[in-house]
Amino acid sequence: MKKKILIGLGILSLLFMVIGAYVIVTVERATSRLDQLVKLHQVEILREHLLLQIKRVQSDLAWSGTRYASGVDTIVSHGIQMGKVVDRCFLCHHSPQVTEGLVDLKSQTGRYEDFLSHVLTLDANRARREAEKDEAVRRGQELIAKVNGIIALTSRNLESSSQAVFRQIAITKTMLFLLIAMGPLILMTLGFLFIRELTRPMNTLLTATRRLKGGALDHRVEGLKDEFGELATSFNEMAGSLTEQMQKMRRTEQMVVVGELAAGLGHEVKNPLAGIKAAVNLLSEELTLTKEDRDLFSRIVEQVGRLEALMKGFLNFAKPPKPQWERVSINEVLETTIDFFLVSHRSSFQAFGGIDIRKNMDEGLPRTMADPMQLQQVFLNLFLNAGDAMPNGGALAVRTLYDASADSIRIDIKDTGTGIDPEILGRIFSPFLTTKSKGTGLGLAICRQMIGQHGGSIGAENDPAGGALIRIILPVKRGEEEVQAAW
Amino acid sequence: MRKSLLAFSLSAALVVGCIQQETPAPRQPLPEKTLLIGLTPEHNIFKQVRRYEPLADYLSKKTGIRVTLKVLTYRGNVIDNFRFLKLDGAFFGSFGYSLAHAKLGVVALARPEVPDGISSYHGVLFVRKDSEIRTVRQMKGKRLALVARATTAGYLFPSIYLKRAGVRNPETFFKEIYFAGAHEGTIDDVLDRKADVGVSKNTVYNRFAAENPRIGRELVILGKSEDVPENALALRRGVEDPVKRKLGDALIAMHADPEGAKVLKAFGARRFIGTTEADYMPVMTYARELGIDLADFKFPAEE
Repeated sequence: MKKKILIGLGILSLLFMVIGAYVIVTVERATSRLDQLVKLHQVEILREHLLLQIKRVQSDLAWSGTRYASGVDTIVSHGIQMGKVVDRCFLCHHSPQVTEGLVDLKSQTGRYEDFLSHVLTLDANRARREAEKDEAVRRGQELIAKVNGIIALTSRNLESSSQAVFRQIAITKTMLFLLIAMGPLILMTLGFLFIRELTRPMNTLLTATRRLKGGALDHRVEGLKDEFGELATSFNEMAGSLTEQMQKMRRTEQMVVVGELAAGLGHEVKNPLAGIKAAVNLLSEELTLTKEDRDLFSRIVEQVGRLEALMKGFLNFAKPPKPQWERVSINEVLETTIDFFLVSHRSSFQAFGGIDIRKNMDEGLPRTMADPMQLQQVFLNLFLNAGDAMPNGGALAVRTLYDASADSIRIDIKDTGTGIDPEILGRIFSPFLTTKSKGTGLGLAICRQMIGQHGGSIGAENDPAGGALIRIILPVKRGEEEVQAAW
Repeated sequence: MRKSLLAFSLSAALVVGCIQQETPAPRQPLPEKTLLIGLTPEHNIFKQVRRYEPLADYLSKKTGIRVTLKVLTYRGNVIDNFRFLKLDGAFFGSFGYSLAHAKLGVVALARPEVPDGISSYHGVLFVRKDSEIRTVRQMKGKRLALVARATTAGYLFPSIYLKRAGVRNPETFFKEIYFAGAHEGTIDDVLDRKADVGVSKNTVYNRFAAENPRIGRELVILGKSEDVPENALALRRGVEDPVKRKLGDALIAMHADPEGAKVLKAFGARRFIGTTEADYMPVMTYARELGIDLADFKFPAEE
């Protein structure tokens, strides 16, 4: 769009320049033509003036020698004026042909002056005086005829030149009027096109925003280019994300409803289960049963126990307990959990072939507000999962690190087990997803829920060298206020 | 529309263009004192006025005295013409000056010196090359073109020349004698076969020959006079001495002034030099030989 705006401005500027240049050139040409025409008329006037001067001198000459004759000074003055007019002609003409003609005219005028001077100064007999006078008059008449010829010729040229100039001026005038009339129209049209080009995508986006607001989440913006195209892409991505979030929200809402229903149902199921369990236990103790029946009762109790565990986990997930905040050391919570893990599950490890616990605790870890019981539950869950992933034994690395820039604590729990199936890697924190035959699929979901209650995050990834890495990020909360603010 | 446009353009052009061309540069206030100076025709009088006008303008500017030129023809009585035109002075030829000095008391101030360092001229007598005239005897019955009675080269010299050749009465010796009134006129007339013999100042003859190659090709000089002073500016007796001094000083010093030097160059002179009565001795000698009493010299109309 920026490019288009620049191009548009460039075109407008260019248009202005072209129109301006055309107007200047046209006016200049018209002025020049008028100037040329004026000069031609000046020349015409000058020639007429020359003709008058010659005729005046001729008149002086005709009256010379009579009682009405002008004084010599007057005649000389007239002759000099005549010469000056001829000289002035040289100021206007420059073409060699015309100059040659003028040189001839000047020479002829000079000869006329010679004869005139001769007549004025001659002191001779009457016959000679008359002869000289006649000669001078004849020269004068020749000069008049020559100037008349020039005038007639130039008049014709002047007329044709005038017509040509007027035609050119008329064309120029028409073009100027057209420009004056069309210029604003062209500019308005261009302006309209540019504005439309600018507002059309904006309107498209505005309409799309309104439709989105109206609930049309599947509406997408198409056909925009440049910066507006990028904006449309972002808009479409946002709409897609919104759709996805909305779907997630719906699912969450559904889950909440289902959870609440399930919790109610679980609560209702829990008591009968306890009754069933107690009844079965009582029956198995009081009745004389065969070994097969006793095993059957044991299996019923075992399955009821599984159902109870499932119900407990489900209720925890559906109605997570509110954290009991206190200032804790994550390292200490981890140490306690590891100790408990080692003590309570020692037999399992031995059966597995032994697990090597490798701790790398950051001594500079700050204390943070957290629920130590919930964290212990999370860590223990993760340790047990790691243990399950290493049936033949292995190493369990626990590492803590304080990230001062983010003011957060990082907890890495890494095993050397079989790793996580890549197909379910992205969904392992989803509820009811399990790879264990006896698992409920709620352990990791509850972990994520609890870490989420602490304002943190939990993620999983496979180590290319083998095993899985679970990474927990917990923001450091130094006081009750921060906790309250987070809640 | 077209007519109004043309009218406007022409009016504008005439107002602007013509005024620009014809309106002279703003002049300084005109001096109160005016001197009328006569020009005796040497050549075409139009050319002569054009030649002397820059000099008059320069003198006006430098002296603060308005110098106006008038053509002082030889026709009739040049002395009377001088009086009639109420001139204050004139550029006189040597004989004209001698007569004016004797009759009017005019005093010469300065005369030009040409670039060659010469400030004098002499008269020449010439004929066409293709004529058979080479001696005075062969001039008998021919037409003689003189310049004017009040000129050395155009009258005094040929009179002496003819007298020394034994011609007692030129009026009967020649078929026709007339006065062209200007030195250039006699050259033109002989060249155009309107006269057979002509006389002129050598300075005019040479200048004219430089302009017109026919002169060198077609004319031949048969005789020449002694050198006499070039045309000098002379002022009448009544002109105040400070004016004379101012004018004389301006002329003498003008070659040292860049503007004056420029005017002198266009005029065809190197400088102006002072002139005394002694410079006119050859004229006096000629006059005495012809028996002319300058103070009592009569022109035909007075005879």
